Amino acid sequence: MAHTLLEHGTVRELPQAREIHVKAYRLMLLARVLDDKFASLYRMGKIHGGVFLSRGQEALSVALGLALRRGDVFAPLIRDRAGRLAFGEPVLDAVRTFLGSAQGPMRARDGNVHYGAPREGLYAMISHLGAMIPVVNGALMAHRFKGIQGTVGATCIGDGGTSTGAFHEGLNQAAVEKLPLVLVVANNQYAYSTPNQRQFACASLADKAVGYGIAGHRIDGTDLTACLNAVGEAVARARAGLGPQLVEANLLRLCGHGEHDDAGYINPKLKTASVGRDCLKVAEKRLIEQGWADAATMAQWRSDAAHQVEEAVATVQREPGPDPYQEDWCALASKHLSEGQPETAT
Amino acid sequence: MSITYLDAIREAQARALAEDPRVFIYGQDIGEFGGAFKATKNLARQFPGRVLDSPISEDAMLGLAVGAAIEGMRPIIEMQFADFSTVAFNQIVNQAATLYWRTRVPCPITVRLPSGGTSGSGPFHSQSMEALYAHYPGLIVVTPATVEDAYSMLLEAVAIDDPVIFCEHKYLYYHLKADQLPTEAMPVGKARIARPGRDMTLVAYSAMVHEALAVAGELASEGVEIEVVDLRSIKPLDTDTVMASVARTGRLLCVGEAWPWGGVTSEIIARVASEGFDLLDAPPQRLNAKDTPVPYHPSLWAAHRPTARSIAVAARNLLRL
Amino acid sequence: MPSIPLIMPQLGESIAEATVVNLLVQVGDQVQTDQDIMEVETSKATMNVAAPCTGRVERWLVKLNESYPVGAVLGYLEASQEDAVRLGLDNPTPAKAPDDVDGQGEGSAKPQRETPSKIVEPTVRGLPVPANAAGASYMSPRMKARMIELGLHAADLAGLPGSGAAGRVTIQDFEKFVLNLEKSKLSQASTMRVAVADAMRRSWTRPLATVARPVCFDLLLRHRKTCEPKPGPALYALRALAVALSENSAPAGRLIGSKIVHPSSIDVGFAVEAEEGVLVPVLRNADRRPLKELVGPYNALVDLARQRRLPADATGGSIATVTNFGTFGLTWATPIPLPEQTLVLGMGAANRVPQWDEAKGQFVPVMEANVTLSFDHRVLDGGAAGRLLTRIAELLAQPEKL
Repeated sequence: MAHTLLEHGTVRELPQAREIHVKAYRLMLLARVLDDKFASLYRMGKIHGGVFLSRGQEALSVALGLALRRGDVFAPLIRDRAGRLAFGEPVLDAVRTFLGSAQGPMRARDGNVHYGAPREGLYAMISHLGAMIPVVNGALMAHRFKGIQGTVGATCIGDGGTSTGAFHEGLNQAAVEKLPLVLVVANNQYAYSTPNQRQFACASLADKAVGYGIAGHRIDGTDLTACLNAVGEAVARARAGLGPQLVEANLLRLCGHGEHDDAGYINPKLKTASVGRDCLKVAEKRLIEQGWADAATMAQWRSDAAHQVEEAVATVQREPGPDPYQEDWCALASKHLSEGQPETAT
Repeated sequence: MSITYLDAIREAQARALAEDPRVFIYGQDIGEFGGAFKATKNLARQFPGRVLDSPISEDAMLGLAVGAAIEGMRPIIEMQFADFSTVAFNQIVNQAATLYWRTRVPCPITVRLPSGGTSGSGPFHSQSMEALYAHYPGLIVVTPATVEDAYSMLLEAVAIDDPVIFCEHKYLYYHLKADQLPTEAMPVGKARIARPGRDMTLVAYSAMVHEALAVAGELASEGVEIEVVDLRSIKPLDTDTVMASVARTGRLLCVGEAWPWGGVTSEIIARVASEGFDLLDAPPQRLNAKDTPVPYHPSLWAAHRPTARSIAVAARNLLRL
Repeated sequence: MPSIPLIMPQLGESIAEATVVNLLVQVGDQVQTDQDIMEVETSKATMNVAAPCTGRVERWLVKLNESYPVGAVLGYLEASQEDAVRLGLDNPTPAKAPDDVDGQGEGSAKPQRETPSKIVEPTVRGLPVPANAAGASYMSPRMKARMIELGLHAADLAGLPGSGAAGRVTIQDFEKFVLNLEKSKLSQASTMRVAVADAMRRSWTRPLATVARPVCFDLLLRHRKTCEPKPGPALYALRALAVALSENSAPAGRLIGSKIVHPSSIDVGFAVEAEEGVLVPVLRNADRRPLKELVGPYNALVDLARQRRLPADATGGSIATVTNFGTFGLTWATPIPLPEQTLVLGMGAANRVPQWDEAKGQFVPVMEANVTLSFDHRVLDGGAAGRLLTRIAELLAQPEKL
């Protein structure tokens, strides 16, 4: 895949720009269609538990997923549907997790956005925000111990997550160890219902980078090209051994915190401002302006994506959920140290 | 040659580092300085790049351990004091303890917690936290009481594919000595009969084992033979050994340095009462620290935790029932 | 065309219900998959419910501004067989629904509200828990388990000194006792012996007392000579007891809690010595048959008892027992009533003794025997026992009327 080559921090126009924009757009479109499907499945009552969508964050997330490669470690967070797909995660993994299929990567033991395949370098998040940062650090330390070079560890977080102690400890640790960590902060203006003014007092989250002694980047998260450039550059810098990279992208969350939330608290002025633009539409416009695709082609792409999603959903809806009587109910890898479950002792 | 409990811990780490390239140690002040208690003295020099100083970030330390474990390493994390592990609590119980169950990827980390009270250490340098961690599924919790167990159980902890919370007792660091390191050992998960007896079963762990043995010695001169059980592992708990002992004696006294509510002593009694009710000739009893934070002043501290004196009183009461 | 139920979705983790605020389609409308068909309001937000497949709105089951729980059926969609199969709804069985509401407003939908549960009264008032596990009568779980294992009862441990608190027998005391037993001469007790021991132990849990009076047997013995076959002396006593009880059954009642349970029929048993123990065959309704009619059945039962061939219905269910300990030469005894009985009447050996005859002014020889009545002192006292015995003595003085 194509990514930026850097030269002392200057951003160059991407070679093979058409190819990468088309690839990115199609992944964003697939993520959006998949999200829409999850939303409607939720409103039909087919999903247990919460549904968290990525509407508005697709450009940022896909840019990160495309910049990473096999061997890297990626700990996505809540709104990284596009990034996961770009990293190579199958659509079925997301559908199986949401629909509680026993064949999903978490075997229905965890659900909604808490899914991953750690052995493939795709880590499954836990709910506590910031907690994945030191985990990615640890993975990079392991690579260092093993003499594996040229890998990058990336994780995403929101504006709210930057307030946690874990964020601070993790970023500081990465800086001290000079790890190739790329931390992408999706500043979507709200942490659930809490607006930025109640979340932090600094002018920009990217400024925190100075405090940790690392590089910081600030971009317009609604612009696919800006995302591809800056995120690609950050990943390349990290890979080149220049230490942790913090990327803050400004955008607006175009859905509720979860599908149980109607986001009525979002300031309507933001929705009509530039930060409130839908990155998918922005990308469409760019593709058309550059002559990289026309409306008919994009309609076909959308139809292909819908078909892919429908097939995945139809497949998973025929799969069984977990059977509690077949579960071993053991949380240890070392079976000989398990105490068993008292109430089932015979 | 005399080996202390602390020496044994250092020796075990040295051996682990030497024999398994996947092992590394991460903690505060453990590098050149050798650790607050010198548990890693000289190891940084002996194994360059594998004994690293971390910032004061218990959460990040444990998170790092989990990430390294996912990628195939076997980290040992030294918490400077068990009491500080509460800052790492989230990573231990929600990240490390759930990883295997959720993802099928094992989490072979070892977390060393310098635990228990010493005179003058106060509320935040004295805690015994084994019950908290034992409560969460997915964790192994061990409490070595002897020099030999400090050595062999730490080696086994590193070898176990699950997160092991290694509660080493600070009081025993320099007070306990042995002549040599063991060549063979009981496995994690098995309790030890520290002293056989017939009139009462006295179950203890960690430093309390030594108080229990003192009591047994004292009462032996009165013709009472007390059987002392050293649990060694809190989770898994060797219920079979405890049950067999109560079957021999009919009386049970559990002693723990931690607080009473929901502690290890309550777990043992719950198991014996529900699975071995007909073995009891008298109600099972327990003795714990007083239900307050651990006091600073030595005279308060001495009254706060069980000692041979208070255990003897409890034992005599139980024998009279 | 199958009916697909429209279900209230789970619109948030802690959400239990939602209020219907707007129906976006009407009955008869054609809808597409994912089309929004209803607006609902939860405590957190206003959301839309979507159609699960293409179809025609068949009917609504909801009322505007009413609240329905998650999982409730809100209405039905008429859909194609293909769609029903795809959704796994081949055999749609409507889930439990609130009361139907159709467009005409016939009837009313009751919102799903729990009826408030009645106040629950505790059934146990105060706990009968011993304050501490000490004291001579306390038996630890371990003791109990061992005793069950060895088939022992607390009564078997009588006289065993305890070294535990307040003299309780500890498991060590017990095991020492059992070990010492092994050293003594032991012989096997028969099942009969064990059964009798159990009955006596259970009987003895009550406060028992005995009263007695001497009875002159001359008239009875003279009457006996005139009968063929000869009734046993115990049978006279049995019949006298039965008649006396038919006049007043209270002394044979049983005390259960604070109630006296009166006997429903005067069935009286009599003790027959069998090998290793005692059997108690019963004469049913002994108050309704005269003595001469009881002789045959009595003798037959005695024989069967001695041979240990009593039928099952010949024992048990008696309200009192008669025992003739006089056959062993005993003049006095305090028999123990069966555990389910209040009374046992005993007859001692008759001896010729001098009795002062006021009329003749001299001692005259008479045949005299003690008749004893042992009883559960909770049910009757000495006075009532005495009156019963006096009545029996009266009846025995007129044997021809028995």
